Amino acid sequence: MIDIEHLTKRYGATTVVDDVSFRVEEGTVAVVVGTSGAGKSTLLRMINRLVEPSAGRVLIDGKDTMTIPEDELRHRIGYVIQGYGLFPHRTVAQNIATVPRLLGWDRRRIAARVEELLDLFQLDAAEFATKFPHQLSGGQQQRVGVARALAAKPAVLLMDEPFGALDPVIRGKAQDDLRAIQKRLGTTIMLVTHDMNEAFHLGDRIAVMDRARLLQYASPADILTHPAEAFVEELVGTTERPFRLLSLTTVQDALEPGSAEGQPVPLSASLRDALSQLIWLGRQALPVTDSSGAPVGRISVDRILRHGRADP
Amino acid sequence: MNTISSRTTASGMTSLRSIPSLDRLGSVLALLIGVALLAAPFITYRANRIVAGEGRMLADALPSKPAVAVIAVVLAIAFCAAFVRKPLVRLGAAALGLAAILPAAGWSASFVTPDGNAFARVSPSTGFWLLALAFALLAADALARLRLGPWARLLALAVAAGAVALLLASGAWDDLSLLKEYANRADSFWREARRHLWLALGSMAAACLVGLPLGILGHRIRAMRIAVLQGLTIVQTIPSIALFGILIAPLGFLAAQVPLAAALGIHGIGAAPAFIALFLYSLLPVVANTVTGLDQVPAAVIDAARGMGLSRRQRLVQVELPLAFPVILAGIRIALVQNLGLATIAALIGGGGFGTFVFQGIGQTAIDLVLLGAIPTVALSFAAAIVLDAIIDLTQRGAHDRH
Amino acid sequence: MRAQAVLLRAAALLLLVAFVARPQLFAFAFEPLTANNASAIYDQGSLLALTLSHLRTVFLATLASSVLAVTLGVFVTRPFGQEFLPLSRSLVNIGQTFPPVAVLAIAVPLVGFGEKPTFIALFLYGLLPIFENTLTGLADVEPQTLEAAKGMGMNARQRLIQVELPLALPVILAGIRLSVIISLGTATIGSTVAAKGLGEVIIAGLQSNNVAFILQGGLVVALLAVLIHGGLAAVERAVARRLGRPAGAATSQPS
Ligand SMILES: Nc1ncnc2c1ncn2[C@@H]1O[C@H](COP(=O)(O)OP(=O)(O)OP(=O)(O)O)[C@@H](O)[C@H]1O
Ligand SMILES: [Mg+2]
Repeated sequence: MIDIEHLTKRYGATTVVDDVSFRVEEGTVAVVVGTSGAGKSTLLRMINRLVEPSAGRVLIDGKDTMTIPEDELRHRIGYVIQGYGLFPHRTVAQNIATVPRLLGWDRRRIAARVEELLDLFQLDAAEFATKFPHQLSGGQQQRVGVARALAAKPAVLLMDEPFGALDPVIRGKAQDDLRAIQKRLGTTIMLVTHDMNEAFHLGDRIAVMDRARLLQYASPADILTHPAEAFVEELVGTTERPFRLLSLTTVQDALEPGSAEGQPVPLSASLRDALSQLIWLGRQALPVTDSSGAPVGRISVDRILRHGRADP
Repeated sequence: MNTISSRTTASGMTSLRSIPSLDRLGSVLALLIGVALLAAPFITYRANRIVAGEGRMLADALPSKPAVAVIAVVLAIAFCAAFVRKPLVRLGAAALGLAAILPAAGWSASFVTPDGNAFARVSPSTGFWLLALAFALLAADALARLRLGPWARLLALAVAAGAVALLLASGAWDDLSLLKEYANRADSFWREARRHLWLALGSMAAACLVGLPLGILGHRIRAMRIAVLQGLTIVQTIPSIALFGILIAPLGFLAAQVPLAAALGIHGIGAAPAFIALFLYSLLPVVANTVTGLDQVPAAVIDAARGMGLSRRQRLVQVELPLAFPVILAGIRIALVQNLGLATIAALIGGGGFGTFVFQGIGQTAIDLVLLGAIPTVALSFAAAIVLDAIIDLTQRGAHDRH
Repeated sequence: MRAQAVLLRAAALLLLVAFVARPQLFAFAFEPLTANNASAIYDQGSLLALTLSHLRTVFLATLASSVLAVTLGVFVTRPFGQEFLPLSRSLVNIGQTFPPVAVLAIAVPLVGFGEKPTFIALFLYGLLPIFENTLTGLADVEPQTLEAAKGMGMNARQRLIQVELPLALPVILAGIRLSVIISLGTATIGSTVAAKGLGEVIIAGLQSNNVAFILQGGLVVALLAVLIHGGLAAVERAVARRLGRPAGAATSQPS
């Protein structure tokens, strides 16, 4: 859990982060979005004290970060940046082992952890452990970067545009993988991005920043349906709004009793995917099945459209 | 506990930064000045050229009033170095310091030498050199921080050269042993100077004549580029004296077998091997930079030139060479500075140049003679570097403006 | 092509060792150059001893310059030494316009003849390329890499030792190579100030007008320089390859 309280950063006369407060709940993902120069990176870097705050404080699991020596604090917080900053002179395994080594873990424990992480990130240990970063593809480098940040089992992970250097296809897959791993490990993540799709895809909460100020901190649906300021509305993209909203909701939430003809839609699919299938097949309704394949009801165009409105 | 210490250091750092009073580099220089003034002799007096000398502190080297004045100026500069941060002020202070101690050294020579004594030798001593070093460092630091443009750098060089020329012409230094050595061999000094310049500039000019076409060919023909550059790199690693030695054998053979060669002044020992060696050394920077410069011309520019119907020759002359010019000049700068220094070694094989005095001086352990050869060499290389760097800056700027 | 180069180097090394150890075997090659029954092979001392002493001087001086230059390079790039950075940069530029022989010549009257002035000249002049390359190498470390190192909780010393220096290593090595090559040449000239070294052979040849001496001295020094240069460049390439970078392109400066 991260508590940010009245956090402020000034460089000379300019304030680059202005009295920002919010809480990231244990095991959730908070995404910070905003225009370039809004102060997102500065905010993030004040959490692991790469930037010293001018005012305000940060609590991690209730403990003021100022009471923990800098280096020790950073050992406990995973940090991933755009470009990853992998050490070019160290192998993948050595890169991942960086923080455990700083913490003085014994060799066997480190080796076991490295193997575990390589496995988690679908990198074949036999093949990749001894490779150097320049021998990896962009996507592989990204996975090593995240694995390295998670090596010492940090409770909190900070990510500054971690997918910025990836092409769109690999980016989608990397986001899905991150989400799955986050769910599995229960890590609290604060992630900075420019990409609104990424924000809606990954965020349990979204923080919108503009010119040093936090404009809104809310769930993705709230951000869409109740934007706090015109700027937030604009940033979200008015034409994309209904589709974004639909992709946040699953079929389960719009399930109707009854049955319909045609190819069934899974209960866990998003409304956006369901709508896309309805349009494609030219139907008003389709049957819905649960994970075992048993029919549980139906989904209709009418019902979906109602979920895409500003006031459902 | 840990936190407190890390916090105090952080705030300690900022408070140090925010008080602009004490400049660390300046304090070191001030210390150096203090040591030079209080603990080291300003000049050395020797009854004749051979005997060991005795040191004189600055206070004893000049009549009392001027001595006090010079000491006061030097102390004021030390203070300025430690506490004033404005580069322009520091540069002025350094210039003032040099303007004080340089004539003071000459004056002290006249003051200390008994009237009519032609054998006595007075030379600047540790104290003088340390002061000169401290002021030069102060000036260099100020100049580095000022980031002067090319014209300003040239002007600064001209002013410095003018001041030195004035100092020498005024006769203020005539009683210093360095100038006595010079007076004893004024003729040979200028002869060796001409020889030195001829060796360094002539071999470089030859290297340009051969190197440019070689570079252009190398740019076009890959296989040739690799062979030429690798060969020249190997030549470059051979120490000069060894290369001179290797060239002496075939040239000696040539002189013995071909009377015409001997008549043209080509001998095994002498200037010929030095000239050829310097020529070979200069080739690498010229060729390598020509290749690099031409390689760096954007393909789009060449395409556009081709699209406008320029022939291959016209493209080379009107587009590629002008765009590659700053890089080629940088190669010429490397070659020139390198040659001016290496020409010193030609004296070892009878090739003449300022090295003549250096090696004679080494032989006689006469530092004044060494300096008579070394100072002009260093001054020439230094001036050449400044002038060519400025020209490179100017041509680069021109290239940017044209874009 | 590569194998050929390695083979050529090995052959040159073999030839050099053979010549230095048993120079008389090669007398036939130098005899045509002698006149008046002068000896064809340097006979005023052992070539092997001269070579070893030459290499020792260069090695010790380079070692000393490397230690000091890298230390200074680290110092001026840390926050507490930054005020010295602009000056040290321009000093290196100015210093490199000095010919190494000038440093040698000025050292003699100050410390006398022998190994001392040579060592001082090699040491002082050798500082310049190593210092310059240390600065370049440290400045070339990607800011991202440093940010990551800091973000993972490495302290300043750990960042320097575990990240910055290893990454700057190929460039620092290139500086050391330049320094070694300059030192080999300056040490040769050191023989004019009575330092024991291979320059003795050339100087003896010049004094007695014996072209055979001049040539063999020149060849031994040249071969030594070319082989050492090749060897050090190979080490650099190996280190740089590990980092996935092309080797440093620094070219030597003759001395
Ligand atoms: N060390 C610094 N000194 C002075 N100003 C700074 C410093 N670091 C950042 N800034 C300024 O603070 C502002 C916010 O920077 P920050 O990097 O936090 O923006 P950002 O939201 O991450 O932007 P981007 O999306 O482009 O990464 C910018 O205007 C930047 O110029
Ligand atoms: Mg940012």
